[in-house]
Amino acid sequence: MAVSVETSAETPVEPMPESAPKTAPGVRVGGLSVVYKTPAGELPAIAGIDLELRPGTITGVVGESGSGKSTLALSLLNAVQPPGRIAAGSVEIDGLGDVVGLRGEELRKARGRHIGYVFQAAQNSLNPLKTVGKQLLDLGRSHGVSDLRALVREAKELLGRMGLDGARVLDSHQHELSGGMRQRVGIMLALVLNAHLVVLDEPTTALDMITQATILRIIREVHEERGLTTMVITHDLGVVAEVADRLAVMYGGRVVEQGPTHEVLATPRHPYTRGLLGAIPRLVGDIDEARALPGRPPTLGTVPREGCVFRERCALRMDVCETVEPPTVADGPRLVACHAVEAGGAVREESA
Amino acid sequence: MTVIARRLAGHLARGLVMVLVVTSISFVIIRNIPGDPIAARYEKLIEQGMSPEQAERATAVLYGFMPKGNLWQQYLDYMSGLFRLDLGESLMTPGAQVTDVLFEATKWTVLPVLVGTLLSFLIGIMMGVYAAIKRSGRLGDILAVSGSLLHGIPQYVLALLLGALFTTLIPILPSGGTADIMFEPGFNLGYIGSLIEHAALPVLTYALASYGGWILAMKSSVVTVLGDDFILAAELRGMKRSIVFRYIARNAILPLFTILALSLGLLFGGAIFIERIFNYPGLGLMLIDSITNRDFALMGGAFLLITIAIIVANIVADMLYTVIDPRVRSGEEAGR
Repeated sequence: MAVSVETSAETPVEPMPESAPKTAPGVRVGGLSVVYKTPAGELPAIAGIDLELRPGTITGVVGESGSGKSTLALSLLNAVQPPGRIAAGSVEIDGLGDVVGLRGEELRKARGRHIGYVFQAAQNSLNPLKTVGKQLLDLGRSHGVSDLRALVREAKELLGRMGLDGARVLDSHQHELSGGMRQRVGIMLALVLNAHLVVLDEPTTALDMITQATILRIIREVHEERGLTTMVITHDLGVVAEVADRLAVMYGGRVVEQGPTHEVLATPRHPYTRGLLGAIPRLVGDIDEARALPGRPPTLGTVPREGCVFRERCALRMDVCETVEPPTVADGPRLVACHAVEAGGAVREESA
Repeated sequence: MTVIARRLAGHLARGLVMVLVVTSISFVIIRNIPGDPIAARYEKLIEQGMSPEQAERATAVLYGFMPKGNLWQQYLDYMSGLFRLDLGESLMTPGAQVTDVLFEATKWTVLPVLVGTLLSFLIGIMMGVYAAIKRSGRLGDILAVSGSLLHGIPQYVLALLLGALFTTLIPILPSGGTADIMFEPGFNLGYIGSLIEHAALPVLTYALASYGGWILAMKSSVVTVLGDDFILAAELRGMKRSIVFRYIARNAILPLFTILALSLGLLFGGAIFIERIFNYPGLGLMLIDSITNRDFALMGGAFLLITIAIIVANIVADMLYTVIDPRVRSGEEAGR
């Protein structure tokens, strides 16, 4: 594989087709590990993640701060920032191949054109000195768009679609836009080149509730209209419940449970997922019913080297958890990595 | 546009008031410096071996040029002269108009210092960007350390070192003055070549002395911008490297424009040490001479020039921001 990358990097870059494939691509993350270089050596931020984004679905990835979800999102663009690096694994994207092997110009052209990335609340994702429109033109020129007028038209339409005055927004600088408007500009820039894989990193964090709801509605609508494959990173289960078809729960750099959103939320199997759901205060009933998970999530330095990463906080901890990392086991459409769940019994009965 | 014009008018009005206030204050200070021009001249002549009678006779002519009346009268005369651009007559070279003397000295300061500043700015900026991008590499370290070193060496030490190096160890440059006297001043090749040769050391010293500051300032500014989200965002949107580089450069250079504008204002103060060491007849040297000779009028004129230059530089810096930073611009338009 390395060889093919070398040669294609040397040959003159072929002109990109005017638009990316019109179909939603599938994404298969296999055995992905990302390590960060620290004074204490290279520490894993995510370790051996297997995850599939099915074409045309919205996959939600939830986890606490430091669980590795943003690192996972950046990996999809092969954009893990130094001192981190992808140590192992692959990210196969239909129409692109394994992006982990992409380098230089090939990688640059894949970004934006095939994979749209929306930043956390997009508060600062724009050059403060240039108008949105000028940055849009920079984007178009970067990707060899010949018809810049059409690009601007497309951008205005997308902005209009999201309830903004396209012409005015394109004529504005970042500081003249509100948080919600900036977020919509971020979404527009991720979609305007017709990317069909869109990664949203905490798209509603730092926005007020009304704007959050609007943004989520827009994500859902645009996703369906354009036929996208979408990944939404969030720490907010409510966001996932609202938009995602499938849900992956991350903890300590691992996906501990994944499956269809409604199933995972209705009958969580992994003790961490159960803990997360149990910690949400209800609108009705006693506030004390919400129970916080004891302990704190591991950091880069404190993730256990062997055994289950969650055992320190787990109520179902067994001897085997100390030494053996739980394998991911399929259970219908669900994948769970937990010794206790694998052993059957308690968890399932309790949740039934 | 009208907003900018209104802003400019405001600045000019405030600047004018400031000039009058500063001039008044410096007038009072200058007139209260111990000693007077005649005494200063008298002592100098005595030192040179004149007899007291000779010296008295030689200085008598100066009385004609001394300001008349009490301090109030002198102040009013001075200020009213100011509005006719008449700064009085220099006492050092009796009969010469201060404005002419100033103009003559300015000629020798502005061009070398301007060239030196712009040269060090451009090189410092470029090296600063490079040092920031390669900050974890050896070359980046070397650049940063060279910046710190040059920034740390005092101007006069640098001037002496360069002077010793290029006039004595490797004698390729002249050690002082503005041009060889064998050339006829004017627009001829020999004279211009000699001018450049003589200006080389002052310019080089000035450029090297300020280069360190630019490289350090630019490096830290670029490092800050590199950490900004919008740079990563531009990369993740697949922007071309050249475009991302422009985003970085333009944002990073912004804070340095203020420093540049202000240092251009300061250049009218002259580079005192450099001019002294290379015997270059610029504003700095003139200012020192005027102080040792208690030449009130010339001192006042020099201070006035420096004041105006710095106020103008401030206005230019501010107006520049209005043009290049949209955030400042719209802050001004907020009330529309």
